[in-house]
Amino acid sequence: MPTETPPAQFLGDPRPAVPPPLDRARELGIHQVLDIEGRPRGDLPDPDLPPATLHRMYRTMVLVRAIDERGWRLQRSGRMEFWIPSRGQEAAHVGSAMAMDADDWIFLADREPGAMLLRGASLQSLFAQFFGRAGEPLKGRRLPLLLGDRALNIVPCMTQVGAYIPHAAGAAWAAKLRGDGTRFIVYFGDGATSRGEFHSAMNFAGIHRPPIIFFCQNNGWAVSTPTDRQTASASFAEKGEAYAVDNLRVDGNDPLAVYAVTRQARERAGERGASLIEAVTYRLGFHTSSDNPDLYRLPAEVAAWERWDPIPRLRRYLEDKGLWSPADEEELVAQCQAEIEGAVAAAEAMPPPEPGGQFDDVLAAPTWRLEEQRARLLADLDGGG
Amino acid sequence: MTVLEALNAAMAHEMARDDRVVILGEDVGTAGGIFRVTQGLQQRFGPKRVIDTPLDEKGIAAHAVGMALYGLKPIAEIQFSGFIHDAFEQLMFGASKYRWATGGQYSVPMVVRAPSFGGIKGGFWHSQSPEAYYVHGGGMKIVAPSTPRDAYGLLLAAIRDPDPTLVLEPVPLYRALRDEVADDGTALPIGEACLVREGADVTVVTYGPLRHDVVAVADEMAAARGIEVEVIDLRSLMPFDVDGIVGSVRRTGRLVVVHEAPLSLGFGAELAATVQQVAFGYLHCPIERVAGHDLPYGFAGGDEYYRPNRARIGAAITRAVEFSF
Repeated sequence: MPTETPPAQFLGDPRPAVPPPLDRARELGIHQVLDIEGRPRGDLPDPDLPPATLHRMYRTMVLVRAIDERGWRLQRSGRMEFWIPSRGQEAAHVGSAMAMDADDWIFLADREPGAMLLRGASLQSLFAQFFGRAGEPLKGRRLPLLLGDRALNIVPCMTQVGAYIPHAAGAAWAAKLRGDGTRFIVYFGDGATSRGEFHSAMNFAGIHRPPIIFFCQNNGWAVSTPTDRQTASASFAEKGEAYAVDNLRVDGNDPLAVYAVTRQARERAGERGASLIEAVTYRLGFHTSSDNPDLYRLPAEVAAWERWDPIPRLRRYLEDKGLWSPADEEELVAQCQAEIEGAVAAAEAMPPPEPGGQFDDVLAAPTWRLEEQRARLLADLDGGG
Repeated sequence: MTVLEALNAAMAHEMARDDRVVILGEDVGTAGGIFRVTQGLQQRFGPKRVIDTPLDEKGIAAHAVGMALYGLKPIAEIQFSGFIHDAFEQLMFGASKYRWATGGQYSVPMVVRAPSFGGIKGGFWHSQSPEAYYVHGGGMKIVAPSTPRDAYGLLLAAIRDPDPTLVLEPVPLYRALRDEVADDGTALPIGEACLVREGADVTVVTYGPLRHDVVAVADEMAAARGIEVEVIDLRSLMPFDVDGIVGSVRRTGRLVVVHEAPLSLGFGAELAATVQQVAFGYLHCPIERVAGHDLPYGFAGGDEYYRPNRARIGAAITRAVEFSF
């Protein structure tokens, strides 16, 4: 038997920094409401959302950012096992999730905690999920950030990257066959478009026209693989062309544009069926807490994207409209911190799953074999043998 | 009815009774499937309930998962079980994980029908026995009927089951057998084996089309040598009827397992391990396994020398009966 060899080392250099496509948004056909300063000077008209809607959007984005920062520190300090950062992608998922009706179904990927917040999930239940506690909706069985709750019509991603896309399309197709008005949105990343199931879903959707929005968060990187190593297509949206699925590109760091195009796609879903939206955004953080992006991308690239950070952009828009002040900001930040600290303390104190509980829910009723295994485990743990 | 007619009748019965039941697959509509198992159903229930899909097994399985999540009861036809591997992740991480991974919130009450097993000169594309992969995956029920009556009752049970169920259909028997089947909507319980033939000397456990070969061998051995073989058709693989098997082995003291899937880690390995655990003191001989070999199923020679034949089944029974320390 061979003995262990020394660990392998990365030998490659990071590729040169690629400027954000948003710098050339108009040229690249990326729709915007806001410019880089948060002024409504894009090609799309300002949707003029009511102040309460705008406040909800902004507060959710700020809260998502605060959750991400807190979760990251909990993971780094050893109190949490794993983390999937959402930093930089707040506008893409909050703007689109807000554009759906309350009864619509949402199929999540793994960087969209804001969708849960918008549907009313409590901070404590989110942190209970992050800590893997028995009392959270998924009973602690999924990795942190793989979120969902049937009570909120939110389905957690079940298969590998992107392979769940046709689950959402199949559910939408079922709703169409049943003749109800439910609409669907499914989130996935740029890497997922290389999976066969993305193409299955698009192909079926072109034919059967289920009322669904395929929402691709192109965040620039699939772990260490940049988009130009994922596809030679000029965009991810254009993959819809081959399948006769309506498609467009939107500035994923512009929550108003994301909201507007998603709402429009939702409204025509009954008649037109599916849409593919490519939200051009950027993963400012690590792929996960197990990643090290310094091995494959340069700080200059990240810095160029920080200029497009969606949170200050929306804040400036609100300030220009007289809907936000420094005092509001101070109050919101303090409120987020206080709520998160309370939720962390409460969630961390919740008990982990009991060992026998894992045998539940494999099937509607456990088989004799599962009952046998449960009994054996509990007896062995008890020292009974 | 033939096996094929019984499967068709079960689907028609349930589609008439429950409008959530839909069928999707390649060529299932106008053509009625390449074997004609769904013949006439699209004409009767319409193209929204019997849906011709693109040629894409993972897409068929995955869309069926989504339909089931939203409350339909889809029956996905995989044209041949050899094509099911394309849908593996969809069945493994899709259909069979939602209930568990959502703490029981979501369920996937879908059926996958897969024409399976060898015996039709099909080579390895068209002669697969994929059951072990799915038993191993967990979260999915698996049945393998081998008579018209069992096909009717188990397919009905699969459609009504709240969990995903894989139905391994016996391709070589589709039109080879005829049986009185009452089309009265009575389902058979999943997980219950069938005692096909009683015998005191040795128990043979099998499933799928080989059941009929095993019975023929048993009849020959009784007539020629006075060896009484008890034959059990498992019918359900997940869950399987442990009490029925163990009860029989305790009476006969000898067990032979016969299946078409490859020997290594085949279902026989699980049966042998289970039986030696709970009936160790009753065994008079090592448990014999007659199985496919650990190699691909050939076009020429596969049906004869890959698939267990009557000579190999008879030889294994003889080894069991004549064993001495």
